[in-house]
Amino acid sequence: MASLLDHTARGETVGYSFSQSAAAPVKQHGFYPYTDNGGSTLGITGSDFAILAGDTRSTSGYNINSRMVPKVFKIGGDDETGEGAHIILSVVGFAADGNALKERLDSVVKMYKYQHGKPMSVSACAQRLSTILYQKRFFPYYVTAILAGLDEEGKGALYSYDPVGSYEREQCRAAGAAASLIMPFLDNQVNFKNQYIPGSGEGHALEAKKAEPLPQDHVKQLVRDAFTSAVERHIEVGDNLQMMIATKDGIQEVYHPLKKD
Amino acid sequence: MTSIGTGYDLSNSVFSPDGRNFQVEYAVKAVENGGTAVGIRCKDGVVLAVEKIITSKLLKPGANKRIATVDRHVGIVSAGLVPDGRHFVSRARDEASSWRGVYKAPIPTNALANRLGGYVQAYTLYSSVRPFGVTAIVGGWDSEAELAVDGQVGQGPNSGAGGKVEGAEAGGPGLYMIEPSGLYWGYYGAATGKGRQAAKAELEKLDLSSGNLSLADGVKEAARIIYVAHEDSKDKEFELEMSWISSLDGPTKGRHEEVPKELREEAEKAAKRALEGDDDEEEEKGQAMEE
Amino acid sequence: MNHFPEAWGRPRDDVYGAYNPSYLQTTGPKAHTSSPAVTGTSVIGVKFNGGVALATDNLASYGSLARFSDVKRLRVFGDKAVVGFGGDVSDMQYIDRLLASIDIRENYSNHGNMLNAKNLHTYLAKVFYKRRSEFNPLWNHVLVAGYDGEGKPFLSSADLLGTTFSAPHLATGFGAHLAVPILRRLFPDEKPIEEVTQEHAVDALKQCLKVLFYRDARSLDKYSIAVITKDGIDLKENEQIEGQSWAFAERIKGYGAQTN
Repeated sequence: MASLLDHTARGETVGYSFSQSAAAPVKQHGFYPYTDNGGSTLGITGSDFAILAGDTRSTSGYNINSRMVPKVFKIGGDDETGEGAHIILSVVGFAADGNALKERLDSVVKMYKYQHGKPMSVSACAQRLSTILYQKRFFPYYVTAILAGLDEEGKGALYSYDPVGSYEREQCRAAGAAASLIMPFLDNQVNFKNQYIPGSGEGHALEAKKAEPLPQDHVKQLVRDAFTSAVERHIEVGDNLQMMIATKDGIQEVYHPLKKD
Repeated sequence: MTSIGTGYDLSNSVFSPDGRNFQVEYAVKAVENGGTAVGIRCKDGVVLAVEKIITSKLLKPGANKRIATVDRHVGIVSAGLVPDGRHFVSRARDEASSWRGVYKAPIPTNALANRLGGYVQAYTLYSSVRPFGVTAIVGGWDSEAELAVDGQVGQGPNSGAGGKVEGAEAGGPGLYMIEPSGLYWGYYGAATGKGRQAAKAELEKLDLSSGNLSLADGVKEAARIIYVAHEDSKDKEFELEMSWISSLDGPTKGRHEEVPKELREEAEKAAKRALEGDDDEEEEKGQAMEE
Repeated sequence: MNHFPEAWGRPRDDVYGAYNPSYLQTTGPKAHTSSPAVTGTSVIGVKFNGGVALATDNLASYGSLARFSDVKRLRVFGDKAVVGFGGDVSDMQYIDRLLASIDIRENYSNHGNMLNAKNLHTYLAKVFYKRRSEFNPLWNHVLVAGYDGEGKPFLSSADLLGTTFSAPHLATGFGAHLAVPILRRLFPDEKPIEEVTQEHAVDALKQCLKVLFYRDARSLDKYSIAVITKDGIDLKENEQIEGQSWAFAERIKGYGAQTN
């Protein structure tokens, strides 16, 4: 209360008690428009199929929002069930952005079919997805997307993205919370990294095992193994495993239970 | 004085030397060819009804509604050029919604009629536009209970006055008719369109100003009046469309709704019976005279 | 002493320090709401055989001040769905009016309001997402309850970021920490929804409300509860948490009457 008695403080200087002069720092936005909803996705291709998989857990911090929020979507289907689609997309990261991105790509692929009278190729869709992501370069969709389907030769095609649209075609890719757990496993089991042909030589002469497309059943088992392992070590991954398999006969969707802890 | 050849009728907003706006009068002519529309202000609600002439057998019965809902508690029916009526309704909806935007409450029927009167009148002022080719009947029910403000979260203070006036009477039925000139009055019973003369004569017999007619009876009367008014154009088939707005404790709970099918058909049956009754009487009279 | 009328009624600089004029800035980026003001706490919801139940308490807090104790945070949409609001109350009122205007527009057509709870949830989530993308968020976390297009019970969540998820039981805010574990114990995943009766669901919600009242400092023992069945919406807005037990308080210093 000293200041109340301290008449010399501003004394008799004429002016507003409400001073305009005080330089104030520019106020920053206090609103952060993103959140991380956890979860993990992965995609692997074979000679005549592509598989995209993801867990179905949705998290906020240490909370589980829901045990059943799919991350893999059919793109460009004829109705809301996605019937008739031949492209699949997985998104992991900020789920609201993931949904918005999915819906945009879905309508783009639909419009392509209406306007050109033929389905969009996976490679065209992949380029278009990159463009959509890059258009929001300065306010990105905070998601890691993986796009899959069959290419023009009927071979499994898989494209992986960063949040701002950088992309490449790959044999396999893991994304999301447990990407760092799953990707090395994939390197070893799909691309045969660090695997050598036994007895082919000593030291540097040792011949690396060459990667080649794997059969579908084998890949499905790899996916399940990858997720059962990830679930053990990552708290944001769990509940259910969703798998979509794109073949020349269309898209098949299967679910498997994962640990719910 | 006639308008023909004088040139005073060629542009809107131009007065003739004897103070008439012929474009408006021509608009009234358009209304006079439209299917009859009536509105009855009852003690516990309002009824709107319209005679919908069937212009083609290819039109789906019951489709292409002519009575429109403007807000939860207001309906509009019009006679005249149907597209003009649609635009009029669209404006009414905008007015009702903008009122809610400002006052967070439903627009009172009289205020809506006032806004619409002003809107229609504006179309008599400029040479670049033509007047509305409709006469519209606006029916509404203003809540008699104290209404919560839109989005209100609580009840307010329950001790002391709390800004409330005890025993104040509010709300009730509202019925207005707006003409192409922008002229509007509040009515006990309103009629427009081709059969308006007959309809008005019937409305006048109802002694509406005493405020005794119930909504249920109003529905029957409205149906009957449309049937009576149709007598002069008997060669054309028509469909009866009816809507109503009751008090909060009535069948529609203060909302504007279509009269339920069963009730409408019952009213139509009664209307037909009443008409046949009249015919019988006339026949009897005729026979008596012949004898 | 300052005698200039401009300064009348304003806090004195010499007593209170200079007013922070950064709030009045006209230059710089346009600032929107960056924190909620008057807020409601948890919303909890459970699906049961043939319907959904939703509950909130009736409190709106201003920071730690229990500001309004008669705030109804369950809002009915048409006669089909209920939205339970947590978060900013003024944004809730804005959304409530927005939904009212949609309901009115739906009634322009003669088949009435055809939007079900699922449609409403999709719409609300898009409103939230649009506003967060404009950096002007509607500061709410809502639960939407009703039926989907196939007539099955529907319960789903949407928040200020546009995040959505659905589950047989949901809770927002503090309820996500305190009520969800209770609900998961009462209604485990293995238990099919057909085995959950309306009474079970309502009792569970009441139990959760009580725990929340005990442990959430921004909660109240007056609450609203909505039960949505095929027969319609049964909304009760002035309920009281029953069977509170404060016996433990007697043994705790600082609680109740004892002074030493």
